[in-house]
Amino acid sequence: MRDNVKGGALTEVTFYILLSLYTPKHGYAVMQFIEEKTGGRLSLGAGTLYGALSSLQEKGWIEPCRDSEGRKKEYLITAQGKKIAEKELVRLNELVNTATGIVGGTV
Amino acid sequence: MSKKYYRFFGGLLTAQANWLNKMSEKGYRLIRTEKLLYEFEECKPDQVKYCVEFIGQKSKNNAENYHDFLEDMGYKVFYKNINLNYSVGKVRWRPWAEKGGRVAANATTFNRELLIVEKENDGKPLELYTSHEDKESYYVNLRNPWFLILLMFAVFAVVNRSVIFCALALICLIPVLAYQSQIMKNRHEANIKEW
Repeated sequence: MRDNVKGGALTEVTFYILLSLYTPKHGYAVMQFIEEKTGGRLSLGAGTLYGALSSLQEKGWIEPCRDSEGRKKEYLITAQGKKIAEKELVRLNELVNTATGIVGGTV
Repeated sequence: MSKKYYRFFGGLLTAQANWLNKMSEKGYRLIRTEKLLYEFEECKPDQVKYCVEFIGQKSKNNAENYHDFLEDMGYKVFYKNINLNYSVGKVRWRPWAEKGGRVAANATTFNRELLIVEKENDGKPLELYTSHEDKESYYVNLRNPWFLILLMFAVFAVVNRSVIFCALALICLIPVLAYQSQIMKNRHEANIKEW
């Protein structure tokens, strides 16, 4: 995943994964969350999701935790990850405002 | 009533997946694998879907983590050998493997180079990699072992001035070129779109 850390722009997949992990979720729930929120437009393969989750863990944006039964591995966003997500929201708002100013808000 | 089949597919991953999917269409699902053995039990026709993934480049930890992750995703996962190797205590150096996975032994990923992944058929295709970047790196992992064998045979051919090694090198060129074309295709797609 080529997330542009300096400019703050995240790939859509990264942003959705971060958003899904504000509450702890295991891999399958992350996949369902993304499909549901995008109406099936984004559908992640298990291998791609695994790679994305591993690289986000390496960056320290999410961390693994165990679910209540201690069986399935769950993930949760870290404080650093939340900061990244907030920054992205600000950036997207700025973009939306600029676009609305030019294109118009009636679309 | 279980049904046993003996088959060997070697590096023909797609052929293996196609055969398993045909068995599923006929109403059989996999319950056990051994070196050559595939054991099936009866199920509804087309109840499950299969794909076969090469994981020989992964270290033991990475392979196990990935295996467990897929099981947590609700898939059924089988380990499978890619070669026919009956020796015990074998240690093999894999220069093409990722960091941490370079020496494969019987206790680690040796003879467990493939994953057979089974999911309940929900009408959607079973695709493990959905981004072009991921597809590209998957095909790189498939190409590199063949490329190493190709180089080895090419060196032998030159050193021994042998036609046989030359022919073997040319045979290895086929999968290298096939995977290379997939790599180039996906690299091109990745430049244009994220998905």
